[in-house]
Amino acid sequence: MIEFIEAAVRSDDDRHTLLHPLTLSLVERRISVIGANGSGKSTLLRLVNGLRLPSQGRVEVLGRDTRKAGSTVRRSVGFVFTDPLSQLVMPTGREDVELSLRTRKLPAAERRLRAGEVLRRFGLEHLADRSIYDLSGGERQILALAVVLAVEPPILLADEPTTLLDLRNDRVVRALLAGLGQQVVFTTHNLDFAREAERTLVIDGGRVVFDGRPADAVSFYRSLSAQPGGGPAGDGHLLP
Amino acid sequence: MRGFGSTLGLYRPGAGLLYRLPLAPKAAASLGCATAVVGWGSLPTTSTVLVLALAGLLIGARQSVLQTARMLLPAAPVLGILALYQGFSQGWVQAFVVVGGIAGCLLAARSVTLTTPLQVLLDGTASLARPFRRLGADPERFALALSIMLRSIPYLAGLFVDVREAARARGLERSPRVAVTPLVLGAVAYAHRTGEALAARGLGEHDDEEDDRGQDHGSVVG
Amino acid sequence: MQPTEKTSPGPVTDGRPSSRKRWDTTDLSLVAVFAALIAALAIVPGIPVGPLGVPITLQTLGVMLAGAVLGPGRGTAAVLLYLAAGLIGLPVFSGFSGGFGVLAGPSAGYLIAFPPAALVAGLLARAVLRSATRFRTVLLFLACVVASLSTIHPLGVAGLMVNAELSLRDAVLVDAAYLPGDVVKNVIAALLAVSVHRAFPRLLARPRA
Repeated sequence: MIEFIEAAVRSDDDRHTLLHPLTLSLVERRISVIGANGSGKSTLLRLVNGLRLPSQGRVEVLGRDTRKAGSTVRRSVGFVFTDPLSQLVMPTGREDVELSLRTRKLPAAERRLRAGEVLRRFGLEHLADRSIYDLSGGERQILALAVVLAVEPPILLADEPTTLLDLRNDRVVRALLAGLGQQVVFTTHNLDFAREAERTLVIDGGRVVFDGRPADAVSFYRSLSAQPGGGPAGDGHLLP
Repeated sequence: MRGFGSTLGLYRPGAGLLYRLPLAPKAAASLGCATAVVGWGSLPTTSTVLVLALAGLLIGARQSVLQTARMLLPAAPVLGILALYQGFSQGWVQAFVVVGGIAGCLLAARSVTLTTPLQVLLDGTASLARPFRRLGADPERFALALSIMLRSIPYLAGLFVDVREAARARGLERSPRVAVTPLVLGAVAYAHRTGEALAARGLGEHDDEEDDRGQDHGSVVG
Repeated sequence: MQPTEKTSPGPVTDGRPSSRKRWDTTDLSLVAVFAALIAALAIVPGIPVGPLGVPITLQTLGVMLAGAVLGPGRGTAAVLLYLAAGLIGLPVFSGFSGGFGVLAGPSAGYLIAFPPAALVAGLLARAVLRSATRFRTVLLFLACVVASLSTIHPLGVAGLMVNAELSLRDAVLVDAAYLPGDVVKNVIAALLAVSVHRAFPRLLARPRA
């Protein structure tokens, strides 16, 4: 259960509004967020785990305010980044999973055992002791997912998790996300992927301009992007 | 430089007394050698340190004489020049005291890293910070910082190679500023990404004030 | 595979403590990454200089950068982390492999001087960046020069005298061989620090009220 209560975000230098006041309650198990680059998708996602704090209003996750209980919220909200290399901290996958489990204050032997289980569950056992630099992009992203899900957070956020992946790995990661028991909120540029959700938000220029069934949201977004001069102000980039 | 992570540990599997000895006495002995040589540099000190270090490596870690000699290779030029300088200005006994002492300390330190796996070294270092907890030290955060540092070295070394190639491609390889600026900017950006990723994973953060009793918050079942 | 979530309701303190801001995870990783940066610069093969061949490396460039980019607190912490990694035996020092052995080596004085050097460079750099709007590069260069002349060189000379048993005159002569290289490195450090602060203006900005 994620709630935005009049939450708005100003840029660091306080000159631009990144997200206009937003009141929203997210309860569906699969929620996708679509919108152009710079529209505020990532900001919205970062608000949920308190990586970004609202300049006004508040955000509550499982009944806790992200401003007052940020680190508690982050322990129950997993976050997967677009680039797994900025997510993985340790030299090998096994060590990284063990690092995740460290927040659970388990004895070292127990951690090692659990890390092995997690890696097995994600089919990464044979890659566990390889340098993360030697893994393919897809393997890295699955490892990043494993690392985050090792502590079984009830909510998972994913910021364009498939953008850097080839077609085959895109499918693998999407299938993996689809099979999770967690509530998953993800951003994407892939409209087919967006349609796999139960609810879709369309963001434009820092506002949620559409909120509803994925199929409707996708056609709304298509018509929005087709408008001449459409898209949010100040967004001229093709790539993030 | 990609394999740096794996070569970073200077540990070489083997057998012998030093391999079975826990880290604490080995580290204490190595530190003791350095302290003795710096504090009481004399013929008996140097001789004792050298005998100890050589006995440790040759018998305690079952290294060959050749393997042991090779450990001094990186330091050999400096030690050689220092030996000549001391020999001609102060006499050869003094040269032995100074250079032998340094060599003994280097070998003693090497005998520790040779016989202790990297993970044990890191855990030992973190536990060293534990007594300072009252003073505000946080062994977990210290260990985490050490891990991130080790993980970052190959990343930065790789970045350095990329940056140099890019500079060469633009014909700018002779400017050290061009060679290093993207490296440092890249390092800062990388640190920001890593910091965000750590926060997102709930690692290395201070607990919320309200959360003192909530340590088992979100505990795992099954 | 459903996790349990104990939502324990209870009194909630409002906001952060009003005392000094604690380091967040970005500060932590800046410290760690700069320690790694010093290590990476130290590992790049150095040029042996002078009769004792203590190699000229980019190591001290890394130390000055840590101070000038991160400021006194985080900069000194980065250097201390680097030294800790080297002292426990990781090969991150130039020339010598790590371990307590370096403490007995001729360059020990230089290593011990690194944390105070980063501290002085950091204090001066922070003052420059918060007050000066012009001639920042020159002022940062001077900050690095002051830092290295007040810490690295005196302690380096002391190390040569104690560990290599050089006379004061010889130690100063050996040390002087590093001065020209140092000037070049301080120029680079100042240029780099200005670039970094232009790209990341919030790194050493005055904390917002």
